[in-house]
Amino acid sequence: MPVESLHVLILSTAAFFAFITAFIIYFIVLYRNKQLKNKQEQEQQQSAFRQELLKAQIEMQEQTLLYVSREIHDNVTQVLSFVKLSLAMAGKSSEDHKQTKINESRELVAQVITDLRDLSKSLSFEHITHLGLVKTIEIETKRINKSGIINVSLSAEGDIYPLGEQRELVLFRIFQETLNNTLKHSGAKHLKIALQYHSELFNLTLEDDGDGFSAILLDKSKGSGLKNIENRATLIGAVATINSSPGKGCCISVSLNPLEQRLYADGYHPNRFS
Amino acid sequence: MLTIITTSYTFLVLIIGIIGIIRYKWLSLPFKLLTWSSFMACLLAILSQILNARYRNNKPILHLESITEFVFYSVIYYYLFKNKIIKKAIIVSIIVFSVSFLINAIFFQPFFKLFPSNIDLPKQVLFAIFSLLLFKEMLLYPLKINIINQSIFWFNTAMLFFATTMFFNLGITNYLARYIRYDNILVYFWYLIIYLFHILICIALLTENKKFTLSDAG
Repeated sequence: MPVESLHVLILSTAAFFAFITAFIIYFIVLYRNKQLKNKQEQEQQQSAFRQELLKAQIEMQEQTLLYVSREIHDNVTQVLSFVKLSLAMAGKSSEDHKQTKINESRELVAQVITDLRDLSKSLSFEHITHLGLVKTIEIETKRINKSGIINVSLSAEGDIYPLGEQRELVLFRIFQETLNNTLKHSGAKHLKIALQYHSELFNLTLEDDGDGFSAILLDKSKGSGLKNIENRATLIGAVATINSSPGKGCCISVSLNPLEQRLYADGYHPNRFS
Repeated sequence: MLTIITTSYTFLVLIIGIIGIIRYKWLSLPFKLLTWSSFMACLLAILSQILNARYRNNKPILHLESITEFVFYSVIYYYLFKNKIIKKAIIVSIIVFSVSFLINAIFFQPFFKLFPSNIDLPKQVLFAIFSLLLFKEMLLYPLKINIINQSIFWFNTAMLFFATTMFFNLGITNYLARYIRYDNILVYFWYLIIYLFHILICIALLTENKKFTLSDAG
């Protein structure tokens, strides 16, 4: 074989192997860059999620404090003011009237103590974890029915199982938010609460017969209670559906898969004020 | 010299098969198939030597090697790909190639007489295409582990290397056809390719861990 031909052969073989090697090295570099990019995106998503979670937790705390403040102002303060007035007037009355006033005041103070105790129970996270979601909603339902403002009915289908501390807390807060909205804005006479426990699906439905609202209001209401309900549901891996139209009440449904494990929905829930 | 090379090749594929058996419980399905393909290659290599020694003709083994290699590696690619369209295309290609092999072996390049180049060359084209598509899919769904520790990378590199080198080999064959006494260079080059291919397959079997492949996927 001529020397030139041998050189051509060797060169072409070397060039071929060099090309293959260069392609493989190029692919490795490209792959590594893709891995880094994916990792950065994942970190950004996790960071955004953590911020969202923190924001929701702070909002929940603020709303809880607002709720407490409102309850104390609307109920406790009013009643105690009346008791103070009543006792002041008792001093100027006859013995019979005095005793009647004192008895009335004692009953009112007893009522305030009961209301404060109920309020404390509804705020307490430990209360919810101890009794579970159904029982806690049942207690709230009885409290609301006793007030006579609205008629609340509660039903629970299926075998009740624990959903996890944080999930149950968030679901309870959604229930409280919805209840507040119904009492303050809807003008409803009835509120139906249904909890459905199936093996691969949990559903919480809250339906009232109030004035309802248009879907446009929901779309525009960023940062409002309704948007909070959706955000809170997302945090625990649930889907919140809000259906309403003017004159036809409002139906809020929260569904989640109890088998789905999410970092923020499982495990021991820390003290919500810490 | 050639006998030493062919015998050591037989031992190489046997050792690779044994490595696959030792690591069997850590292998996912495609790499279990790869293990069995090594044993098949070993068996065919032994049969080829026997036929060569007795009848001076190993063309039937080359035919069998051609189709079984295609079926094995195509099925491995079938399990490695996520894209459903490509998976269907692989199934179709297996059927088409099997039928083509039979027709070729009966009518065009008889089973006992000629090397099945009509099947071998399109096979290499397909393997090159599969490997490039799999490289592309790897970029779409990068795993979290280092690419050097990924068995898919080593297997795919082996296939791309083998497929493209076969064309180069054909070019060299045609180029050297004008010169006498070229066959030794070609045979040594051919075995170099085969050795490198199986070493890369061995690395793939050593790096495979179904826990990472299945959990990190997508």
